Parts: sequence; C-alpha cells; structure tokens
Amino acid sequence: MKRRDFLKTSVVAGAALSLNFEGLQAALITNTVAVEQIPDMVAVMGGEPEVMLDKAIETLGGIGKYVKKGQKVVIKPNIGWDRSPEMAGNTNPKLVKALVQKCLAAGAEKVTVFDHTCDNWQKCYETSGIAAAVKEAGGIIMPGNDEKYYKEVSIPNGVNLKSAKIHEALVEADVWINVPVLKNHGGAKMTCAMKNYMGIVWDRRFFHQNDLQQCIADICTWQKKPVLNIVDAYRIMHQNGPQGKSAADVAVLKSLIVSPNIVAIDTAALKLFNQVKKLDMEAVSHLEKGENLKLGSTDLDKITIKRIKI
Amino acid sequence: MKRYNYLKGLRVFLAILFFVPILLFFVDFAGVLPNDVHTLLHIQLMPALLCGAAGIIVFQIVLALLFGRIYCSVICPAGVLQDVINRLFCIGKKKKKGIRRFKYHKAANVLRYSLLLITVVLGIFGFMGLAMLLDPYSNFGRIATNLFRPVVMWGNNILADLLMKMDNYSLYHVTVSTVTASGLIAAIAALLVFIVLVIFRGRLFCNTLCPVGALLSLVSRYSFFRISFDKDACTHCGNCEHTCKAEAINSKDLTVDTSRCVDCFNCISSCAKGGLQYRFKPFSKKEETAVDTIQATGKDNISYSANSRRTFLATTATVAVSMPIVSVLADEVSQGKGHRERKRNRNCNREQWPPITPPGSISLERFKDKCTACHICVVRCPSQVLRPAGLEYGFDYMLKPRLAYVSSYCNYECTVCADVCPTRAIMPLTKEEKATTQVGIATFFINRCIVKTEGTDCGACSEHCPTQAVHMVPYEGTLTIPSIDPDLCIGCGGCESICPVRPMRAIIIKANTEHKFVEKPKEEEVKKVEVDDFGF
Repeated sequence: MKRRDFLKTSVVAGAALSLNFEGLQAALITNTVAVEQIPDMVAVMGGEPEVMLDKAIETLGGIGKYVKKGQKVVIKPNIGWDRSPEMAGNTNPKLVKALVQKCLAAGAEKVTVFDHTCDNWQKCYETSGIAAAVKEAGGIIMPGNDEKYYKEVSIPNGVNLKSAKIHEALVEADVWINVPVLKNHGGAKMTCAMKNYMGIVWDRRFFHQNDLQQCIADICTWQKKPVLNIVDAYRIMHQNGPQGKSAADVAVLKSLIVSPNIVAIDTAALKLFNQVKKLDMEAVSHLEKGENLKLGSTDLDKITIKRIKI
Repeated sequence: MKRYNYLKGLRVFLAILFFVPILLFFVDFAGVLPNDVHTLLHIQLMPALLCGAAGIIVFQIVLALLFGRIYCSVICPAGVLQDVINRLFCIGKKKKKGIRRFKYHKAANVLRYSLLLITVVLGIFGFMGLAMLLDPYSNFGRIATNLFRPVVMWGNNILADLLMKMDNYSLYHVTVSTVTASGLIAAIAALLVFIVLVIFRGRLFCNTLCPVGALLSLVSRYSFFRISFDKDACTHCGNCEHTCKAEAINSKDLTVDTSRCVDCFNCISSCAKGGLQYRFKPFSKKEETAVDTIQATGKDNISYSANSRRTFLATTATVAVSMPIVSVLADEVSQGKGHRERKRNRNCNREQWPPITPPGSISLERFKDKCTACHICVVRCPSQVLRPAGLEYGFDYMLKPRLAYVSSYCNYECTVCADVCPTRAIMPLTKEEKATTQVGIATFFINRCIVKTEGTDCGACSEHCPTQAVHMVPYEGTLTIPSIDPDLCIGCGGCESICPVRPMRAIIIKANTEHKFVEKPKEEEVKKVEVDDFGF
C-alpha cells in the first residue's frame, strides 16, 4: 500500500468513525426513517424580534429556501397608523429590518417595503420607525399613497371580490413575505395575516361595502401567495384596535409565529390573542371563509407545529 | 450721467428675497419648507390690519412715510407678480413695444379712495367680502394655490414617474385634490385681471382697486425720500414717462405723483441724463409738488375734484389711523350678528348644516370676519382636508376654507393651519388644545349603516376614530355597530371620511358654529400581562 492510499483510507475511516449513527440505529429498530422534517409552522416566544426571527427561519430551512438569488422581494408589514412602535399599531421595525437584511443576504436583487396606510402615509412611515429601519437595512421603502401605484388584477376565486387594484411592487415581485402585527380590530374583530392583505389594495371601500369578512378571504385567494407569513406578536394590541388609544391597549408577549399557511397562522394567532383577551373564532369569520376557499386549515392538529421558547 | 442705478437692482434683489420664499411656500405640496416661512405672510398689510398687529402696521406706515410705497414693489407678492408678468410680456420685444409703452394718466382718486372707504366701512360692519376680493396678498394666494401649485404637482408627477422606473422613490406621486371650482374661478379671474391690467395699464390694479395700495398712497404722498425731476438735467425725452408702470410721471410738467409711485426705480434707470433722482425731499416741499400736480392734472377738472379729494383725504386718513381697532370693532359687531343668526338657524330648517371651520377659528362668525381666503392653510394642510367653499354656505363664506371630509380627515395632533394663518382667523393652539377642540360632532344614521342594511361587519368609522368616541357595541350575533360618545368626539372627520356608504354616508360630522372643548380621553391604567404559553 502506498503511503498516499494509506492516508486517504485512514481519513475516510476517521470520518466514518466520527459519524453519529444513532438516528440510523433508531430507524433500524423502529423500522421507520425519521428524517428531520420541516414543520408547517414555527412559534417562538421570549426573545427579541430579530433573535426569534433567526430561530424561526432556521427551523423552517433557512431563508434560502424561500428567497432565491436575484429575486425581487416585497415585504408587506402593517404600517397603517401614525403610531410609535411601543403602541403596537404597526409591525415591529426591528423585525422588518432583520427580515430585509436576511432577504438581501440571500441574494435578493432588491427588497421593497410598502403599505397602503390609513393615516397620512409619510407620518406612518416615519413614526412607525419602519422607513428608517428599511433604509438602514438597505431595502427600498416605496409610497402607496396614490392610485397610480396600483394595478388591476383579477381574483378569479373570490366570492364577492372578483378583481382588485394591487400595488405594482407586489404585482411585479418574484416573491413576497406577509409580515402583520397581531391586533384587535373594530371591524374585522382581529387583524393579522389575512387582514394585512387589505394594505396591498387601493379600493378598500369596496371591502366594507360588500361584506368585509368575505372580501378579506377573497383577496387572499389572489394567485401570488406570500412564501411566508410572519406574525409579529412581540407587542399586541388587545383592545381599541386597530389604532389604539394608549399604552393600556398593548400587551407584551414577545412572540413570533411563522408559517406559509395563512389560515393556520391566523388561527394560531387568535389562540395566542385569547391568552390575553377572549375573542371567539366565529366573530373573526374571515378565518372560516378562508378555509372554505381552501386557503388553509383552522384545525391546528392537522399541521406540524414547532414551538420554541427562548 | 447715470446715477443711483443700483436702486433698481436693489429693488429687484429685495423683491426676489420676499417673493421667492412666499411663492415656494404656497406651491410646496410636500412640506419641504419649514413652517417658519409664514412670518413673511404676517408682515403683509391686510393680514396685519385684520389681526391688529400694531407693530407691523406702524412699521409699514413709517416705511411708506420714509421711502414711499416700497411695500408694493418688494413685500407684496401680488405687486411682484405683476412685475413678473410685465417682465415676461417684455421678452423678445423692442424697447418701445415692451418696456416703454405706458403714458401718464391722471390718478383715479375718486375710485380708489371710494373703494378703500367702502372696504373699511363694510369691514367694520362685519362684511369682509370686498376686502377678501381686493386684498392683493389673498389674491396672490389664491392664484398660487389654485393655479401654480397644481402645475408644480403635475410636474412632480412626471418626474416621479421617471425616477420610479429607476427605483428611486425620493419623489412620489401626488393627487391634486384641494382645488375646487370656486377657487379655480377666483384664481383665474384674478390672474386675468392682473395680466390684462399690467399689459395695458401697468400697475393700475395697485392704484385703483387695491385697498392696501390706496391706504399706503395716503402716506406715501408725504414720503421723505421720493423720485423727482432734476429740471436742469432733464431733456424732456419722455423715456421715464413711458417706462413708468404706475403711469405717475408727467414728463411735460416734470411731476411725479408720489401717491402712485411704487418705487420700482425703472424711470431712474431709463434716464441717461440723470434727470430723475430718488432723494430726500423735505416735508415742506411736498405742498409745492402737490399743488404742481393739481395744477398740472386738474386744469380743466375745476376745483371740485381737488376739494372732494381733500375731504376724502381727511376721511380716509382718520379711518387709516383707526384701522387697528377695526378688527376689534368688527368682532363686537359680528358677535351681535352671530346671536341673531343662531336664533334664525334654530327656527329654520336643519337640512343645510353650516360649514365646519378649522380648529382654532373659535366660531363660524369670527372666522367669516377674519378670513380673507388666501388659502395658505389649504396648501399647508398635510391631510389636504381644507377645501375652499363655493356659494353653498352663502356669499359671506365664499372661497373660505372648510373641513371637507371627502377622503381625508383632520390629523389628531396637527396644528399647521393655525400656525400659518396670517390673519389669525385660525388662532394658534397647542397640540393639547387641538386634541380637545370640538369643531363638530359625529352624527350616526343607523338606517344607512352597512351593519344594519347588509348585516355584515364594517367598523371603518371606529377604526379611524382617534379618541374612540366612535366605538363598536354588540349588535346582532357576532356583529358590532358604531355608537358615539359626544363628550369624546372632536369632529375630526375620521369616521365620515372612511364611511363606505354612498351616496349619503352613515356617519356625518355636524359643525359646531361655536367650537367647544371636550375632555381628553382618560388614560387607562396599564395592566401588566403575563403570558408564557402559546395557547395552541
């Protein structure tokens, strides 16, 4: 045996010896292969927004699984109100910042952030801290204040809503990530991932005129679905939503839920909400309507959930 | 020999210094300029008179007494606008057809002082219509707001679209939403008057229609520094007369009507011989000049005009001196009137609700008396909720801004309109005062509400209510319906602006003709919530 061959063999052998065969052994014993599966949903509690995001995305297979190199990415937070981050009126800017950074690190060509705000858009962008966060992270913050920015798309599977004008950044995007904040809502009863869709359309009056709950479910059937829904529950607004009056409306839960399944994530968010304030599933009827439109399941037993506490 | 040539340059320089910031302040739709620019509006004479700013009034009078009507060529944006129009008209024309096209006319004293007197008297009796229509600053404001600003906004949109293609969003698309038919008509009319008069008769507006010009002319005719002929140097070429926009130079009799001269100094520049000079002419000499003028101009006009003018002078001078108290007087008179009107309103139909006036305007009657419809509040309002009214609220509310909750509402803690209002028609107020000033009360029409008519969730009104005066209460099943707490409502219009019901909305703000104050919403105690389980 030549010395080179000997070295090669011993390196291979050494590597083989250091391998852990516990999984294989277990599989052999139970006669099944337990490959570490990616869960349908990840819920994290107890950390700062960016830390929880790291954990969740890692568990879901890393950002590269969702955002590919050279893609145009849109992140859609809730920036509806002229409220500071402590008031929980908008998505946490730290979360948005970390997410923009992740997408850019995954090689995204550009990351655009916008919302069709309720209050004056410049004030919302500024007071929420999101405009600054996006700029710091190297993303683009785009206005959504004018009908000009919205393009007509058809919603073939909608019950009441058959077409809508959707922000062009989204229409042109390769992938998008839905990043709502969990809040009480005077009209829809709860606003989370599904309700956050109302910030991508121009004409919201139609929604209110034609059964708000049904239209929320309808708009979620738009063919371009978010690759991930990331629910910010670091601070939630448990009453007087969606705008809030004071700090008394806010509860700090330090939580984050991530899932591609929009109905399931809203169901989970509702259960988390119920830890603070009672809110019936029937009242938030866009969940059931969403399920009827095959957008996902309200039965959390049907999906795999990974729960992480930090 | 050209002397004092720098005077015209100095005048142009100063005019730019005042005009450009004011113009930009009006067309700046993005709020780039600081609100402090409004100081330049407070020194305008009509606003100063209306809010009784004695210091500014005295300053302007002293300025006119010392140097003549510099105000009209430097401070007044309408005056400078007319100079700009004149300048544009001259482009590409030969001197004779362009710059040198005016000739001496007699002063239209009866007209200008009658107008001044009528304006003042009507003002005292609480009718501000004439002051509003004739005030040069307000006219400039309306032109800038309703004509220049939309043009700038369209330009911005074209640029924004181009930049957007390059992923640059430093400019953004804007919609022109505050221009109403009445505002547009008023602006076009004013601009047309300016253009036509400037082209044919120079500064005729300033010397006949303008009450500010007329008021200053009463002082400027005695001004210490004035333009006068150097009889030895003058060659009677007539260049100065043909250059004079105020048509105040009579080159035959070598007289300059200081009451109409706006100190543009074009005549001095036009004279190659130094035949005209701007110099200190002591008080005593004015009699002589005045008499000269009368003799020169009124030869065939007999003594009647001179007499009547003297009477006029006496009356108007008295009035001018009492101007600062006009606003106070007007306040008192209008208060009486307000009482009468309110009684009448109670008896009459309640269908036509009065306009909602901006927070800080205290009452509808007071606002009517103080506002000259310059529209600076309309352009500075960040939510574009102020819109000039037409004739729907009567002639005395014409062109004045009202809160129109068509597609936007009054920001909870915003006080911009009050900060910039030069006439104090909208009194300055703190954020706390603003957040508790009730300009109107939300009125709910349940039979129009979606929750009742369609049986579906809505709640858009409550969603937008900053004080939760409009809150959702249980209705049928899981449905909730709005309910109003009038003690919390400030009339901001959040609810009305977003209500989806058409053609008549289900929640509408009813104006308070006298603004009220409400309690600040009580701060709830912050309860610490401990959750350590997901709940799923």
